[in-house]
Amino acid sequence: MSFVFNEENEATFTALLPRYPHHKSLVLPCLWMAQYQEGYISAEAMDFICKKLDVPLAHLYGVATFYTMFYLEEIPKFHIQVCKTLSCELCGKNDILKAIEEEVGLKVNESNELFKVSQVECLGACGGAPMLQLNEDYHENLTPQSTKELLQRFCK
Amino acid sequence: MSEMVSINVDGNRIQADKGALLLPTLLKNGIMVPHFCYHDALGPDGNCRMCMVAIEGQKRPQIACDTLVKKDMVVSTKNESINDVKRKILELELLSHPVDCPICDQAGECSLQDYYMEFGLNEARRPKEEKKLKNKKLDIGKNIILDQERCVLCARCTRFTQEITHTNELAIIGRGNDARVSTVPGQEMQTPYAMNIIDLCPVGALTSKDFRFKQRVWFMHSSKGVCHGCAKGCNIYIDHNQEKYKSDTIFRYRPRINNRVNGHFICDEGRLSYKDENNERLSGFYQHNKLISEERAMTHLLHCLTTLHPLLIVSPSLSLEELTVIQVLSQRFNLEVHAFAQGYQDESFEDDWLRSKDRSSNLASVKKLDIKTSKDALIRALECTGLVINFNHRSFLNTKLQDQAILVNKKEIHFASHSFDNCKHKELLIPISSYSENEGTLINEDGVLQRYEAGLCNEKKSLLQILHELISTPATPKEVWDKHLNEVFGFGYEDIGPEGKQL
Amino acid sequence: MIQKIVSKNFNIENSHTLEVAKKNGAYQSIDRAFTLKPTDIEIEISKSGLRGKGGGGASAGAKWCLVSVTNEKSYLIVNADESEPGTFKDRQIMQYDPHLLIEGIILTCYAIHSHDAYIYVRGEYKFFADRLNEAIKEAYEDGILGQNVKDFGYRMDITVHRGAGAYICGEKSALVESLEGNRGHPRLKPHEPSPEYYFGKPALVNNVETIASVPFIINEGADAYKAFGTEKSPGTLLFGMSGHINNPGIYEMAFGESMQDFIDKIGGGIKNGKKLKAVIPGGASTPVLNAEEVKLAKLDYESMKEIGSALGTGGMIIMDEDTCMVGALKNLLSFYHHESCGQCTPCREGTAWVDGIIENILNNKGKEDDIDLLSDISKTMNGKTICVFAPAVSMVIDGFILRFRNEFETYIAKSKEAVDV
Repeated sequence: MSFVFNEENEATFTALLPRYPHHKSLVLPCLWMAQYQEGYISAEAMDFICKKLDVPLAHLYGVATFYTMFYLEEIPKFHIQVCKTLSCELCGKNDILKAIEEEVGLKVNESNELFKVSQVECLGACGGAPMLQLNEDYHENLTPQSTKELLQRFCK
Repeated sequence: MSEMVSINVDGNRIQADKGALLLPTLLKNGIMVPHFCYHDALGPDGNCRMCMVAIEGQKRPQIACDTLVKKDMVVSTKNESINDVKRKILELELLSHPVDCPICDQAGECSLQDYYMEFGLNEARRPKEEKKLKNKKLDIGKNIILDQERCVLCARCTRFTQEITHTNELAIIGRGNDARVSTVPGQEMQTPYAMNIIDLCPVGALTSKDFRFKQRVWFMHSSKGVCHGCAKGCNIYIDHNQEKYKSDTIFRYRPRINNRVNGHFICDEGRLSYKDENNERLSGFYQHNKLISEERAMTHLLHCLTTLHPLLIVSPSLSLEELTVIQVLSQRFNLEVHAFAQGYQDESFEDDWLRSKDRSSNLASVKKLDIKTSKDALIRALECTGLVINFNHRSFLNTKLQDQAILVNKKEIHFASHSFDNCKHKELLIPISSYSENEGTLINEDGVLQRYEAGLCNEKKSLLQILHELISTPATPKEVWDKHLNEVFGFGYEDIGPEGKQL
Repeated sequence: MIQKIVSKNFNIENSHTLEVAKKNGAYQSIDRAFTLKPTDIEIEISKSGLRGKGGGGASAGAKWCLVSVTNEKSYLIVNADESEPGTFKDRQIMQYDPHLLIEGIILTCYAIHSHDAYIYVRGEYKFFADRLNEAIKEAYEDGILGQNVKDFGYRMDITVHRGAGAYICGEKSALVESLEGNRGHPRLKPHEPSPEYYFGKPALVNNVETIASVPFIINEGADAYKAFGTEKSPGTLLFGMSGHINNPGIYEMAFGESMQDFIDKIGGGIKNGKKLKAVIPGGASTPVLNAEEVKLAKLDYESMKEIGSALGTGGMIIMDEDTCMVGALKNLLSFYHHESCGQCTPCREGTAWVDGIIENILNNKGKEDDIDLLSDISKTMNGKTICVFAPAVSMVIDGFILRFRNEFETYIAKSKEAVDV
């Protein structure tokens, strides 16, 4: 099965290309678009991007594995990313993790069909600590209770 | 032409090119500055931080690979504080490095070992159980094994595939101390120059599968040879050792730097051609499948030369001196000499770097001596004789002429370094030493005349020696030059320097 | 104490929309700016003493000059990769006043003869990137961006470029590398002052808030900006507070205020009535201060340096009396371990090593000379790497050990007991 951009992504690509002095700048945007299209970046998608941008495949792997937000394997539907850096830890991140474990039965770095639980570094929401990122959305000023409610609201 | 300026290094004045990089300047002047990521063929990368030196006027130590030579700069490569810096950075390089020396092929030519012995010698301050585990025995193709744990992430190998071969097989993936060198999952090295990364790797992260566990490097002798795989004439080291009860054996070829010919690299086929050189060696004189004495063989040869008007066929990979002496022989007995160069042509081998479509190593010398090379001339000459004397022309006996069936009724005398089909059944088989055992000169396809030294010691006579004993032609290359070649070239054998002479 | 230069529209409903922004003064400076010469803009910025607000505090005018003196095609790259722990100020501008940023971009680009700007937004800030894109779309539709900015005949194009999760891409040379489609590896630093280079052309890399400060300076003049703050640290900063504080958040203040006042009066004091123990003043990469030092600290670049720390991004992390400082250091060293790009040896190996040592100390497996070992590794990481990431780690370690050594010693004594028993 080979990968091509869907119509929307192809249109975005075409619109972005003239905005940069060199097409190599489109590496990150292309990786994002591929990830949005399939939920992760497959080997076929990597091949496609490598040919589209005329960049070596090894270079593309080097770039994709450098950034934490790119998934090179399929992940469950809901990725719960709890911020673990100092302000969030000071404000009770561990209680949030416990609440998550109680609600979905998973500890950090564990996954099931529906959820994956990770700890991530500072998300730039220190004023709303403790907080987590659910897929792409921030949820700040959490309590154990509001965390459980959040998971119930979004994930059932 | 850049300006030469004087700089002060460790109290000594040296002359240097203004604006040149400091590190290669120091290295060229014999000043040892530890480094991993810098390489003459790749330039600096600034990531290993080992080449730190103190520059007067600069608050912090600077990396010599990113510092430019300035007039009157004062450099310290080994005061107490810089030594401490070097030791600490080396300690960090070794922090995750597995204690593999007893099983690592790089031992004896490993930068980590060398630097540790020179200025490390400190106890480990982190328990080895805490070392990060990575992939240890990845076969990445083209005879290369990657051990990610030993890697110091100097990026020489990735830069080689990006900037030299432009084949981009390798990249650094991951981040932080999880970063590692890798190919694309499921893919392998492709470039015909892949094995050069084994030499580039300063540690045992990239090793030769072919050489794995075969020999410790300190047992080997390195002879200065020239690859005979094609007309490029890349310079090599022939690494060989004679183990007990065995003959002197070649364990590997490595590139030898010659900025006039091959730079720092050789192709993989040339590198692995040592196997052909080792295999199928001949010993003993044979006539119609019977082992005979050297005396008898020489008598028969002389008889054939005198009475049977044989055709002499020479390999275009023989040395200039061997070709010269054979030409003298041909003149003495009024015989024709042919080289049949076509038999060594292979268009598919050619590329735009170090691989020539001419798979012989000395065709230029053949032409310089006006020896005929065409197929047509050879076929005409063959029609006029019943005996062929072949001086090691390997491909002479394969299909290119066989299918013409013109050898069918001819007798064959062979001077051969290596065995071939039915060789012992011929009229006469005379074993001779091969290029790795001889010294001599070659002219490559770009007109560079190069000398190579005698390497292995095995008890076979060289072609020059045999002919000397037969008809008193010069016995050594120098004697050949003194008698015949000095006049031709206008200089002597001793005048040929290490990078050869451009004709 | 609170000032309203860049944050003046934050509390206005729908302030992010063009309509509301315009009603509140957006893009007025453009009309004035295009009657001036580009050098005039640059001179005004230099006169104002505006300093970069991404943590470094370098003179903005001097940086602009490095790009404007070249006659080549140049670029503005706005650093919205805000990832320094404790820092969450740039997102406020992107969320509540994106048009202020766009306005600042137009002015800056005009001053440095540039027509193309890229806003490099950290990958996790999707909401804020979307906000920016909406505002940019409005600006294009209104003729504020595009071939002919506000009919002045100047082309201005802005593109939002999303990162994908790497703190090191906030380092300006790593940011440009990432924008070029490479791994975010910082570049070797040039020997003379030099601009960044994006595909070989000069590029100015400035923080979001720095650029957002430009419209005020053009509207009101350099002197008006200098009226705030101190002589060497003029103007304002979006200071932040998080951790054990009653009123965490972002508050714009002039430089030079007392840190203690900020914590007590604006921050509302320590949560749950506890006592203050320590403050990390300017985002994680600044040396921690103990409670005594906090009393003396003034929030400007020079004073913070004098007191043995740094102002950084002004994002304060407040720690109360119950905080375990060893645990706090472990949290930070773990962060640095994850975020090191891995390019150069002292950082790649050093960050992993120190993280391991502090982990051992925390788990009662610390050894007697571990504290000195941490200090020794810190020395090796300082001043010997490609970028300032490792020196930051070094300063963090030194700060904690200097001021809270006793807590480390207590842990190690516990480890000894565990072994002896």
